[in-house]
Amino acid sequence: MGLKKLWLVIERDLRMFISYKFLLIMRGIWFVSQVALFGLVVNNMVQDAAAKVGINYFNYYVAGVTIITLYSTAMFIGYDIFEEAEHGVFEYLLTLPVSRRELVLGRSIGGGLRSFIYVGPLLVIVLLILGVSNPLYLLVALAAMFLFAFGVSGMSITIAVAMKSGDKYDILIGVLDALIVRLSTTMYPTFYMQKAMPAYAAVANFNPLTYAAELFRWGTGVEGILQFSPLTGVLGLFIFFFAFTFVGVVFYERRLEGGDWE
Amino acid sequence: MKAILHVIEYDLRNFFRYRWFIIGLIAMNLADLFISAAVLTQMTSIVNFNYFRFFAPGLAVVGLFASAFMIGREINMEVRREIHHYMLSLPMTRTELAIGRVLAGGLRGMLYMTPLLITNFIVLRFPTLPQLLLILLTLLLLAIGISGVSISIAVSTTSFEKFVTARGVVYYMLFFCSSVFYPLKVIQVLATKGLGPLVTFAQVNPLTNGSDLIRSFLLDSPDYVFSPLMLLNVAVFSMIFAFLATFAYSTVLQRN
Repeated sequence: MGLKKLWLVIERDLRMFISYKFLLIMRGIWFVSQVALFGLVVNNMVQDAAAKVGINYFNYYVAGVTIITLYSTAMFIGYDIFEEAEHGVFEYLLTLPVSRRELVLGRSIGGGLRSFIYVGPLLVIVLLILGVSNPLYLLVALAAMFLFAFGVSGMSITIAVAMKSGDKYDILIGVLDALIVRLSTTMYPTFYMQKAMPAYAAVANFNPLTYAAELFRWGTGVEGILQFSPLTGVLGLFIFFFAFTFVGVVFYERRLEGGDWE
Repeated sequence: MKAILHVIEYDLRNFFRYRWFIIGLIAMNLADLFISAAVLTQMTSIVNFNYFRFFAPGLAVVGLFASAFMIGREINMEVRREIHHYMLSLPMTRTELAIGRVLAGGLRGMLYMTPLLITNFIVLRFPTLPQLLLILLTLLLLAIGISGVSISIAVSTTSFEKFVTARGVVYYMLFFCSSVFYPLKVIQVLATKGLGPLVTFAQVNPLTNGSDLIRSFLLDSPDYVFSPLMLLNVAVFSMIFAFLATFAYSTVLQRN
């Protein structure tokens, strides 16, 4: 596998992303509205319950919404693939002297990197709000978030190529988003998920969003004690990354050609 | 009138063709109610607030919004794939076509929302006949307005990704700044953080008025009292966006 070719694919995705000024501004508004509207208002509603389990809900939510933003930005690479298929760019990409494997790996890494670049400035604001208690923990958390972003990007590409239909992809992503975000600890603590329905808490324990959110809270000091060891969280995210990046490559290679894009 | 009915029939038939969309929407709405609302109910029970009962009417508005907004994604797809040229070649005026599509979007919203509203009646209480008629009228006007917003965005965005992103922004701004997810009195905390204009926006937001109107009839709470201004607010919103969408659809498509 040629690293130079891989980098060319990554670079193309990054350049494309930076050219989407409208989308970047709009997604910035998503983030601000989630923090400044939903976060502040819901904090007012549930702060007593959060305090009961030793949590400052606003800080807890801000850390969670950072992970949700990272997730949704990484997922957007799937929409790019449909745009390319619709305009015939996909066929052009397949004619380039780049192997299918390099193409999909490059796109997966590019998708993860660009979501990280996008979240970068927001992350600085979030860190100013939350503070950093231990820089080493934060570095571990950021590394885990890299794995998470690459994994989500790979998952998005895998689903997009499996669906080959922009409409089906959009609705499946909506459903997946509804379940994966709500059945994680990005928005509320496990204690209350357990009280609502023990199955919710059980599912949340295997959710990559939970691992990423908990590790980020641990890294910033929002949560002193994790419900699982940081190693388990990093391992969980590594398995997620590995499954969707490398297994996704094989799947992508098989489904890529043959048209049938809707 | 006949031409408008044809367009409405076309869009309603299309709506039922997208079975997966409907199943997906139902799954998303149920996740909101049975996961998020259930967990938040546990968290708010400490302050004796039953969030589940509060959110149920809001869920009908969430469903109405999502399904009425679907017309926009179809129109956006037609524009991108240039199917709109065929639509414009049909023996009807541009205005008839545009009005038909705005109304169809609203009716689709009503169709999808009906089971959610019935669930509300079962979980909360059944309204009287005049109350039911008022609820249905308000929600129909709201659905037409949302359909108008969706069509206006659909004809103004050139790519699916831009449409999806704009949809997200509209969703977040309208829902987070309304009483769909939390009571208006809780939103007033924003005024103390220097975000007073957002509180005003939440008060005049048609989604606030739509969901609080349902609550005024279904929740026996002194916090929610019906006012004709609620209906007026939704009617004004509906008229503005139905007109805007009709204008945008009939002129922007022609220019393309």
